[in-house]
Amino acid sequence: MSAHIDGSAERRPTGGILALSMPYQVVAAVALASLAVLAGLHLAMVFLHVAPSNTITKQHGQAVDDWIYPEFEQNWKLFAPNPLQQNVSVQVRAEVTGADGARRTTGWIDLTAQDVEDIRGNVFPSHTQQNQLRRAIDWYGNAHDDEGRPKGMRGRLSEEYMRRIVLTRIEGPGARADVGGTVERIQLRRTVTPVASPHWSTEKRSTQPSSRLMPWWEITDADRSRTETSR
Amino acid sequence: MTVPSPAPAAAPARVPFDRKLARAAQTVTSRALGPYQTAIVRIGFSLTWLFFLVREFPHRHEMYGPDGPWSFELARRLIADNRAFTVLMWSDGRLWFEVVYGLAVVAAVLLLLGWHTRAVSVVFMVGALSLQNRSVFLGDGGDNVVHLVSIYLTLLRCGQVWSLDARRAAREAARGEEARGEEARGEEARRRVELAGPALWVVLGGFLVAATWFSPVTGEWWVYVLLWVLWLGQGLWWLVEQYAPGEPRVLLDVLANLAHNAALVVLMAEVCLIYATAGWYKIQGSRWQDGTALFYPLHLDYFTPWPALSELLASSGIMVMLLSYGTVIVQVAFPFTLFHRKVKNVLLVAMMLEHAGIALLLGLPAFSLAMIAADAVFLPTVFLVWLGARATRGRDRLLRRRPAAADLPPQRPARDGEPGGETGGEAAPRTLVG
Repeated sequence: MSAHIDGSAERRPTGGILALSMPYQVVAAVALASLAVLAGLHLAMVFLHVAPSNTITKQHGQAVDDWIYPEFEQNWKLFAPNPLQQNVSVQVRAEVTGADGARRTTGWIDLTAQDVEDIRGNVFPSHTQQNQLRRAIDWYGNAHDDEGRPKGMRGRLSEEYMRRIVLTRIEGPGARADVGGTVERIQLRRTVTPVASPHWSTEKRSTQPSSRLMPWWEITDADRSRTETSR
Repeated sequence: MTVPSPAPAAAPARVPFDRKLARAAQTVTSRALGPYQTAIVRIGFSLTWLFFLVREFPHRHEMYGPDGPWSFELARRLIADNRAFTVLMWSDGRLWFEVVYGLAVVAAVLLLLGWHTRAVSVVFMVGALSLQNRSVFLGDGGDNVVHLVSIYLTLLRCGQVWSLDARRAAREAARGEEARGEEARGEEARRRVELAGPALWVVLGGFLVAATWFSPVTGEWWVYVLLWVLWLGQGLWWLVEQYAPGEPRVLLDVLANLAHNAALVVLMAEVCLIYATAGWYKIQGSRWQDGTALFYPLHLDYFTPWPALSELLASSGIMVMLLSYGTVIVQVAFPFTLFHRKVKNVLLVAMMLEHAGIALLLGLPAFSLAMIAADAVFLPTVFLVWLGARATRGRDRLLRRRPAAADLPPQRPARDGEPGGETGGEAAPRTLVG
């Protein structure tokens, strides 16, 4: 099937554009040209998508976004420009109604510590351990402004998502840290602990953790609907 | 070298430009370039995704199921906005979810083996996009590469070697020769083999109609155009093979080669963009400049499955500095080294080793395997042919059968075996054949 053409020999190849007669050759040539343009355009769009903000993306950013999102979205700033230099963890406390009807508030439950415990000594950590909570709290931060107000629909979605993640981990017999009752309200705390500078470095970084309390959230049935049936 | 270099080197001095152009056009229309490279990419990615799906099997409901934390309702609201493609939005039923997850696993296995590669690669893409787009906030870089490559794979003729398709083609060719002697038997066998393809086509056609029905719910228009074009193309191919084996058949081959070669260029450029972005952005970072960057990930709780090992590596300032600088240099340099075969290969080995290290140290095996599979598109053909021969020999030894086993025609080329040695163990019962 591979038809190499030697400059001299005039034998007709059995495949490729040279094996075709005129009308077919036109079809093939048109296909060649359009595929070349399409591939070139696609690569240009991907390049502009991963490149820093520049003259072209400032003028035609919408066209690039329309082309790229959602299926060709990509982010390769892996540990760049600087790697993450802090451990982010999430704690939760909950107001729980027990079987006896009494309400009580739990102490702080460290959800990230659960993840870390599962990852330790694990050759193939699950996305549920390594990505679920880590990315959810990251997204929550990005989807809210500095005062903690949700930015549009995505902000609200990220809140509901956080509540549902927390509930699967603290409520019900299948939960990792079952609080033993019905969760009425929860409060999250996001703690950031900077990684200490290397011992050979003269730089002194504070490793003091800093925490940020989020508001109390009422738990409604929407936050747990169907979760029981799946467990 | 895998870069599709249009003109063979044998050219005499001073070839006129139009002649060169014609030659280049002939090359990209007559051949699907990089058969071994695209096959190893196919094998690498299907294996990565298969490992991942099997590993996450116990967690599948929590990750992608209708009742998971990222519930069907939340996904519906997000997808109404971003228009991502996922067949999981067709129904919030448990059964449908299990079917889709199961099909994603089956598609990964079949793509790995190269069974009806063109059709299965589409199912593979649908499976990968469906699961990933269902829960976008769960993925990492590894999922991202699988996502992109699964789309490009549908356009690649990635089953030319190391696939059941290749084996079937070789058998058919051999039978064709035999059939001249004993016509009836060969014909009968041919008919039987060809049933699977049309059956698959009809089933996928039904699925495609359903997909189009659900298109207002999920997916951008071009996904459906792509699916329809691929499906109609397959049907047309079959018709042409049956009834018009002359020029129309050659034209279809030309079109398939063109799509393959375009997708291959895009895939290779995509890998270059990954490294270029990763490298150039790092250069701007103060930690990469002062040579301590690697120290920090080795102290992140989420990426230290082996704290003692990470601590050991992070304890040497010189080591951390060398690895940090080395990473940036290799990543920035890689795209440019493609013009120099030897340097490219050295860097390729360095990057693959680094990813193997990342798999263990940072606990990211799926990401690392995906990146290694992507790098593999740049592996030299001689090495891949050698690797294939080794894998075939290894399999034959495992199965205790002689290189050209009784059930295969002796003229079968050495290259065409099952994908890699890793299936050798599972295929052990087949000793019966040998």
